[in-house]
Amino acid sequence: MTSVLILLAGLPRSATDKSSALRRLWRAVACFGVLTFLLNAAVAADLRELWKDRLKSVVAVEFFTESELDRRPTVTNGVVADDQGLIIVQAGAMNPRFAPDQFKDFRVYLPGEPPQRFWSAVYLGQDVLSGWHFLRVVEDMRPFLAPITRFVADRSQNSDSVQIAQRVWGIGLRGKDEDFMPYFLEAPIGLIQTLPQRSAICLDDITAPGLPVFDEKGAFAGLGIAGFGQTYMQFSQRDRGGAAVVMVNIGETSAFLLAAEVLPYLGRIPTDIFGRPVPWLGAHGLQPIDPEVLTFLKLDSGCVVSEVLAGSPAEKAGMKDRDMIVAIDGKPLPRLKPDRVVVAYVQREISRRRPGDGVALAVQRGNERLDFQVTLVEEPKMAREASRSYFERLGFTAREFVYADGVGRRAPVAEHTGVVAHFVKANSPAATAGLGMDDWIKEIDGIPVATYADAAAQLSAIEKDLARVEAVLLIRRGGETQVLRIKLK
Amino acid sequence: MHRDFNRLLDAVVRIDVREVSYDSGVKLFSAGVGSGVIMSADGLVLTNAHVASPKAVEISVTLASLERVGATLVGWDHWTDLALLRLDLEETKRRRLAFTHAKFADSDRLYPGQIVFAVGTPHGLTRTVTRGIISNNRRYFQDNTGVRGYETGAFNTWLQTDAAINPGNSGGPLVTENGSVVGISSRGYLGANNLGFAIPANIARRVLDGLSRDGVIIRSYIGVVPGALRDFEGFYSLALNTGMLINSVDPGSPAAAAGLRGGDILLEIDGQNVDGRFPEQLPPIENAIASLAVGSTVTLKIKRGSETKDYSMATERLESQVGEEWAFEKWGLTVRKVSRAYARANQLSDATGVIVLGVQPGFPAAVAGLSRGDIITSINQVKITSLDLAKEAHASYEVRPGPILVEAQRNFRMSLYVLKP
Repeated sequence: MTSVLILLAGLPRSATDKSSALRRLWRAVACFGVLTFLLNAAVAADLRELWKDRLKSVVAVEFFTESELDRRPTVTNGVVADDQGLIIVQAGAMNPRFAPDQFKDFRVYLPGEPPQRFWSAVYLGQDVLSGWHFLRVVEDMRPFLAPITRFVADRSQNSDSVQIAQRVWGIGLRGKDEDFMPYFLEAPIGLIQTLPQRSAICLDDITAPGLPVFDEKGAFAGLGIAGFGQTYMQFSQRDRGGAAVVMVNIGETSAFLLAAEVLPYLGRIPTDIFGRPVPWLGAHGLQPIDPEVLTFLKLDSGCVVSEVLAGSPAEKAGMKDRDMIVAIDGKPLPRLKPDRVVVAYVQREISRRRPGDGVALAVQRGNERLDFQVTLVEEPKMAREASRSYFERLGFTAREFVYADGVGRRAPVAEHTGVVAHFVKANSPAATAGLGMDDWIKEIDGIPVATYADAAAQLSAIEKDLARVEAVLLIRRGGETQVLRIKLK
Repeated sequence: MHRDFNRLLDAVVRIDVREVSYDSGVKLFSAGVGSGVIMSADGLVLTNAHVASPKAVEISVTLASLERVGATLVGWDHWTDLALLRLDLEETKRRRLAFTHAKFADSDRLYPGQIVFAVGTPHGLTRTVTRGIISNNRRYFQDNTGVRGYETGAFNTWLQTDAAINPGNSGGPLVTENGSVVGISSRGYLGANNLGFAIPANIARRVLDGLSRDGVIIRSYIGVVPGALRDFEGFYSLALNTGMLINSVDPGSPAAAAGLRGGDILLEIDGQNVDGRFPEQLPPIENAIASLAVGSTVTLKIKRGSETKDYSMATERLESQVGEEWAFEKWGLTVRKVSRAYARANQLSDATGVIVLGVQPGFPAAVAGLSRGDIITSINQVKITSLDLAKEAHASYEVRPGPILVEAQRNFRMSLYVLKP
């Protein structure tokens, strides 16, 4: 019975693809409603062959995140991107709070192989546009791998290589304790949306985030992205009313980026572990505009800039807080759904450019239409690039204060001095004194912190001085300051 | 019992308050019960600020004779959690209702262990007397949202007692065996046993005088957040029992403008030595600053590192973080004005705007997507620098309903909304 249903569901697809005589035959069979075991076996055999080949483009990746206190493993998925052992891992796989040098010991596993067997890889960095993390695995492993580019059909390059209602299939991976056993997933596409990348949403889980999806002929159809939350009603004996809960399947996903949104970016291999160059506009807190507001303002689409950051290219060009961006390089912002997608669209338009590039922004300000020619620059030092060191005796990590710290704390650039307590060890002298994560340390022992180097030198002198009884910090949290006394004895 | 104690019982009243609430997008009325004590022959009743506030629309007082009589709010002071009512004397005269009044004792002479009684209306149980002792006669606690969202406790210490104080005791007197009022019961720790707190009579007496004279207690503000120095004197090279730590200086305040910073040590106020070693010592110091005339110049001797210098600044009038509240019925929107103090505490660039307290489902504000906590900064491109400007916009909407453009921020993110009839 199952195979009948599958064949019937396959009907519209077959109708559009008249090139295959076999498929036409299937359609005939399905129309007559005749169940043919022979045909069923043929389909399965076909897919099994495709599956075996394409499994080579899928790997499991493990790495260790080294923090002040411990070393924790993370297991994620990777897709093979070229013949040279290039492996791509999803943006969300790595916690952005950690610096790249805290990610250690990358290991690549083959699906279904005992995990005692693995190959090491080098972390290359994160690409600013795609968000992907790039790895390069050692040569020994490369013969076992096949890049997804090997499964690219001409149609994969088309903007929409797959259609609504078309069946696609993907590969899921079990956990490390199950040898990363691969398994088969299949579902029809229910919806194709611009988010702002062309993305398909299937009727069921189709792959894992970061793993590929293929069409029925085995052509690369796209790459799994983090799943959507689904709302369920939760009933219990105590709560008869039922509460709405949003659940996300983190191991599998029903959504994937179409191939045309993946293939052009496979070559964006970071040349710098921090992902530089990173273009910066300095239009902060982008917000979508409600359709009612657009109608009221007689606009088709737009995006509000909550804040133009001090010293940024946007500020230099003359942009102001609350300006509404309506077009980029003469191209009006598209009308995208849900509304908030327009924010990602604008961010991507900036990210795809390079520092030094010019960008023309058309802006609505009050009743005026203004045009700004902005020259993007390198983004100021990012938190992941900031120097940091852990002071064991005091019990906290001091991190260099970077531009973004000032933005988050709403501090004018002139006040961007001091260091950030990036990590505070529980029950340490610093924690006991009341130091909290992300507190902004402005003074140490009554001396204003001028540079990170000064602070680090001062803190390490405090640590080394075993006769020391206390250290005094002036910290800022929210808009308030506080004097903390760290008892060392 | 002492004869005067019985006389005190005749001065204790139950207070029923009907008041307006702006929390849900629409003006609603709610009712509460508290206690109070008559303090003068002309019918002044002392109670808590959290019992009777300017939001009260109807106050009725139940006398010891169980007769009910109307009362009006003379004034309130949330900083000390005190409010003053006046009985409707015409009514008492007309109905020939008799009452007595209580007298204050010197609360500075209380000692831990001294027996005290709390009289009031816990959980609506009129005329309840409980007995305990003074557990601590100088308890420090400051709470920035302690009196229904308003600040309290910065300028006074509290009496702590184990006499049972329950909800509804609020505003009733804490008295000695001879019936003298040594405090006004204010609060207890919920979930704790017999940890009750009262405002000392010596504070209450001053607030009563001020409210009956002016209807309001005006205080000065300079913007320093104090901290107890404890045993920091070594670090700051100070003599013992000298100075107060300045933990923080409010941005944009007179102290900030004068150049004060967090980590400074305050040594003198207008030539008077300051001793802020322990938290209990902070309220009198804060009160010394608050008691200055608004706009007067105060000179602070400040030690920073090895340097000691005088800083002068003109005081501002102290205001609450909680601004005036209002309901815009046609929009289904209730708001509170952003006050200067709120703006400073929340890192807003100025006091522009009104904070959304509530939206009524199905009404224009809710349909447009506004929600509690949003700060409306402009309406139809007019910057909302005062509540009156918002009222004007609403008034013209009432006359001619049509779409209006509202700009609001949430977590410093700017969004636009259209409110449509």
